[in-house]
Amino acid sequence: MGRYIRRRLATAVLTVFLSIILNFLLIRLAPGDPISYITGQDFPSPQLRAELTAKYGFDRSLIVQFGVYLRSLLAGDLGKSIAGNRPVTDIIAERIGPTLLLALTSAIAALLVGTSLGIYSARRPGSKFDTAMNGVSYVFDSMPPFWLGMMLSLIFASWFKLLPTSGMVDLRAGYTGFAHVLDVLRHLILPAATVVLVTFPYFFRVARTSVIQAMSDDYVVTFRAAGMKESRIFYKYVFRNAMLPTITAFGLTLAYVVAGVAVVEIVFAWPGTGSLMLNAIMQRDYPLLMGLYLVISISVAITMIVLDLVYALADPRIRYQ
Amino acid sequence: MEATAKIKRRPARGLRKRLRDAFAIGQLRVGVAFLILLILVAVFAPLIATHDPFALDNDMLLPPSAEHWLGTDGLGRDVFSMVVHGARTSLVVGVVAAVIAGIIGTLVGGIAGFYRGGLDRFLTETNNIFLMIPTFFLVLLIVAFFGSSMVNVILVLGLTGWVGNALLMRSQAVSLRERTFVKSAFAVGESRARILMKHIIPNGIYPIIANTTMNISAAILMESSLSFLGLGDPNIVSWGQIISHGRSYLTSGWWISASAGLAIVVTVFTFYLIGDGLNRLFNPKLQSTR
Repeated sequence: MGRYIRRRLATAVLTVFLSIILNFLLIRLAPGDPISYITGQDFPSPQLRAELTAKYGFDRSLIVQFGVYLRSLLAGDLGKSIAGNRPVTDIIAERIGPTLLLALTSAIAALLVGTSLGIYSARRPGSKFDTAMNGVSYVFDSMPPFWLGMMLSLIFASWFKLLPTSGMVDLRAGYTGFAHVLDVLRHLILPAATVVLVTFPYFFRVARTSVIQAMSDDYVVTFRAAGMKESRIFYKYVFRNAMLPTITAFGLTLAYVVAGVAVVEIVFAWPGTGSLMLNAIMQRDYPLLMGLYLVISISVAITMIVLDLVYALADPRIRYQ
Repeated sequence: MEATAKIKRRPARGLRKRLRDAFAIGQLRVGVAFLILLILVAVFAPLIATHDPFALDNDMLLPPSAEHWLGTDGLGRDVFSMVVHGARTSLVVGVVAAVIAGIIGTLVGGIAGFYRGGLDRFLTETNNIFLMIPTFFLVLLIVAFFGSSMVNVILVLGLTGWVGNALLMRSQAVSLRERTFVKSAFAVGESRARILMKHIIPNGIYPIIANTTMNISAAILMESSLSFLGLGDPNIVSWGQIISHGRSYLTSGWWISASAGLAIVVTVFTFYLIGDGLNRLFNPKLQSTR
C-alpha cells in the first residue's frame, strides 16, 4: 500500500511540476506582448517600454524568470494580475466559491442520477427501458454543454419565465438569510441541470457496464444455482464489486468538472472562474491565466491522488499488489 | 511447420463476410448512413447552400421561411447556408485531429507494450502525467496564445488527444507479444521493428479504430467550445461560431443557435453510433450483453 501511494504521489508531483514548466514556457513563447496591453498602445515609447519591462522582469533570462516564478510560487504568491493590478490569489479566491458550488452540486447529482439509471438498466438488459436509455445517454453526450445551457435558458427562462436567465443572485431584491439561499438555489437550477444532463451519461454507462459484467461472474452463477435470492446476490455481492469503476468515474469527473463548467458559467453569467478565464484570455492577462491554470492542475492532481487512496481502501486487490 | 504458415497473417475472414457482420449491427447501419449524408453535404456544400454564407443583407433576424429555410442571423446572413458550410469545418477538424491522435497513440502504446523495460516505464509515466493534465484548459491556452487558425486548432487537438489510444494499444501489444504467431516471427528471425509494424499494430489496431471514431466526436465538441469562446478561426464558418453569434439574439432569433447546435448534435451522435457499432463488431462478446 505504501509503495503504491508513494508512486502515485511521485506522478502527481511530476505532473504539477510539468504543468508549471509548460505553463511558464507557453506563455513566454506565445506571440502577443503584455506591455502593449498595459500601456494601451500598439507602439509605446521606448522609455515606458523599458520601465515596464524592468518592473515586471521581462528583461531577465528565461531561466532567471523561471527561478523567480518558482520561488514566489512556493511562497504561495501567484503574482499580480496585469489588468486588475491585484494579487492573482485574491482574484481567484473570490471566484472559486461559486464555481465549486456549481461543480460539486452537479457532479453529485449526475453521479446519483446516472448510477441509479445505470443499475436499473443493467438489471433489465435488452428491455425497452434499457434500449431507450442507451439512446438518450448518447444524445446528451452529443450536446455541446454551452448550447444545451442556452436552449434550457431560452425555454425555461425566456419563454416560460419559470427561472432566472443568469447570475447567481437577484441584485435588485438584495435578499438576506434564508431568502438569499433560496434565491441562489433558484439561480443554480438551470446551470446545474445543464452540467448534470451532459455528465450523467458517463455515470450511466460506467454503472451499466460494470453491473452487467459483475452479474456474469462465475460466483453469481453459483449463488443462483444454490438458490440464493436475486436481491441478496445483487446487494450483498454484485453491488460492491460493480461500484468500483464508479468511484474512478466520480473522481475523474470531479477533476474535470471545474474545467467543464467554465463554458456553462459563461452562458449563465455565473460569477465563477469560467468568465474570469475568458476575460483573462481576452486581455492577455498572463499572471492571472497562469494562476488559474495552475490552481486547476494542482486541484486535478490532488483529486486524482485522493481518488487512488479511496480506491485502494475500497479494493484490497490494489492495496496488496 | 504450422507456425511458419501462421506467420504471414492470422486467418483473414472474407471482406464480404465482414461487411455482412457490420451490416447486422444496427448502430453501424444507421451511423454509416448518416455519415454518408454528412459527407455529401460537406462535399457539395456550395451546391446545396441556397445563399452565400458570408453575404450580408438588410433582412436581419428573419424567422425561417421559404426564402431562408432556417432564417437569417443578426447580420442578415442565411443560417441554412452557414450551417451547410459549417459541416466542412467540423468534419475536417474532427477527422484530422482524431487521426493524428490515433497515429501518435498507436505508436507510443505499441512501442511501450512491445519493447517493455525502461522505455515502457518512461512512456507509461508520460501517459500518466498526460492523463492528469486538464486537456481542455491546455488546448484553450495554446489556441489563445498561438492563434486560432484551423491548422493550429487541429494540431493542438491531435497532439493532446492521444493518451487513451496509447493505453489501449499498450495493453493490446502486451497481450499480442505472448501469442504464438508473434513468437514464431521472433523464431524465424524477423526484426523487432518489423514485428511491431507488421504483426502487433495491424492485429491490435481494432480498439484504436473504434476509439478514434469516438475521438472525432470529442474533437468536434472541443472545436465548438473553442469557437464559442471566441477562439475559432475567423476566416471560416463553424457551428460553434454560429451558436456564439446567436447567443446575442437568443430571444429574438432563437433559430440561429438552435439549428447550428442541432447540426453538432447530429454529427457527434453519428460518430458515437459508428464507434459503438465498431466496438461491437470487433468485440462480439459485448453483443450478448447488448
